[in-house]
Amino acid sequence: MRHIFTYRDKHYIYDVGSGSLHECDERTARLLQGEKIEISDEECKATLEEIEGLRAQGLLDASETQERPIKSNEVKALCLHVSHDCNLRCKYCFADEGAYHSAREVMSLATAKAAIDFLLKNSGKRRVLEVDFFGGEPLMNLGVVKETVAYAKAEGAKLGKKFLFTTTTNALLLDDETIRFFNEEMENVVLSLDGRKEVHDAVRKTVNGKGSFDAVLPHIQKFVQMRGDKSYYVRGTFTAKNLDFSRDVLFLADCGFENISLEPVVTDIEELAIKEEHLPAIEAEYEKLCDAYIAREAAGKGFLFFHFQIDLEGGPCLAKRVSACGAGNEYFSVVPSGDIYPCHQFAGDKEFKMGNVFEGTLDETIRRRFAENSLFTRKKCGDCFAKYICSGGCSANNYHYAGDLNEPYPITCAMMKKRIECAMHVLAERKSRKK
Amino acid sequence: MIKTIAKPAERKQTACGECRSTCQSACKTSCTVGNQSCERITREQKIERK
Repeated sequence: MRHIFTYRDKHYIYDVGSGSLHECDERTARLLQGEKIEISDEECKATLEEIEGLRAQGLLDASETQERPIKSNEVKALCLHVSHDCNLRCKYCFADEGAYHSAREVMSLATAKAAIDFLLKNSGKRRVLEVDFFGGEPLMNLGVVKETVAYAKAEGAKLGKKFLFTTTTNALLLDDETIRFFNEEMENVVLSLDGRKEVHDAVRKTVNGKGSFDAVLPHIQKFVQMRGDKSYYVRGTFTAKNLDFSRDVLFLADCGFENISLEPVVTDIEELAIKEEHLPAIEAEYEKLCDAYIAREAAGKGFLFFHFQIDLEGGPCLAKRVSACGAGNEYFSVVPSGDIYPCHQFAGDKEFKMGNVFEGTLDETIRRRFAENSLFTRKKCGDCFAKYICSGGCSANNYHYAGDLNEPYPITCAMMKKRIECAMHVLAERKSRKK
Repeated sequence: MIKTIAKPAERKQTACGECRSTCQSACKTSCTVGNQSCERITREQKIERK
């Protein structure tokens, strides 16, 4: 399958089967799209020769993979909900402002240790395991985070296993001591900041209803200053209220942040939700951001926007690309009670409760339901050019949209496809500069 | 005229399952599959650099 698209005055051919990206002139693009144009015999012959040459190399019209998805019974990652409480009251929070539609509570150390034991016991031969400290706000239960890290490292070492830890925080409680702890122990830290002060403060409010921007920005700037070359992301959300979100991404870059992500909100709140009617404006905004991104990079002032990265040359193997996200099979969420869910997006939904870390068992019916997911079970993805890059999207989004883990959410799909085209253009421009 | 911008490198390993989990939920920014690198190759390259 070919995906032929135009970005500004550049024309690209993405060959889905091989994963190759080509640039072509306008006439070739029109020809390949089946348009009837006046063409000389000489030009026609030259174009056909180029196409045949690429086909012969397996770089155009390549057959699509029948590679089997990676499926094992090894658990590789846990999301630990160490706090079902939060010190912010963000309007769009999918987690009910941290409480997950239940009582506000934090995870005990005993539960966290039992979760680590569960992970180790079910990790099979896998040597590298991942634990994500999540909430609510994890820093409201920092003591348990610290003790859990120490426990996991000690228990993992006995079995020759290594842990990679991540924390997602709103940064309100982030102080120098915590930053030092993060720098020692966290493989990655995700810090929430939505962009410009007025944008952030409109939705990310303290329990007293005040905007949190002025409180968190200095904390995040201090963190980044002390982080060195270790991984982090400053991660924001955009809503229907700031469809000019490229300004927020550039604002974050101007704050000195080098690793930035800005994600579309997932909410039912009418005034904030992204709807189909917003898509043209959002797609135009991604292009605007893409132009600015390339210009900054060319001027030596580049930063990294998560969605404009794409690795066409050395990305994951095809088996990985056809496997779904792993939620409910190799990745689980554990809530303060010790109950296990397929991922954080399902936390608290009794239909998806899979077990409890103290019992150490998993509901195999639910597990099979998730384990059987792959690109091949997502029928609507079959003719989509993005399928080997997005792998069928987020199961939870699919479920919450259509009640079906395998039914892709069209609004997310449209944004994903636009971002991928932008990322391909960024890649082409970068290569062109290197020459 | 057609110019190739990128083509996948030949892989030594496939389906080893060493890759990290790939949560695509917007609230976590773990990764979209295509943004990822192969965990095993990345690790081997790190060792080679050392």
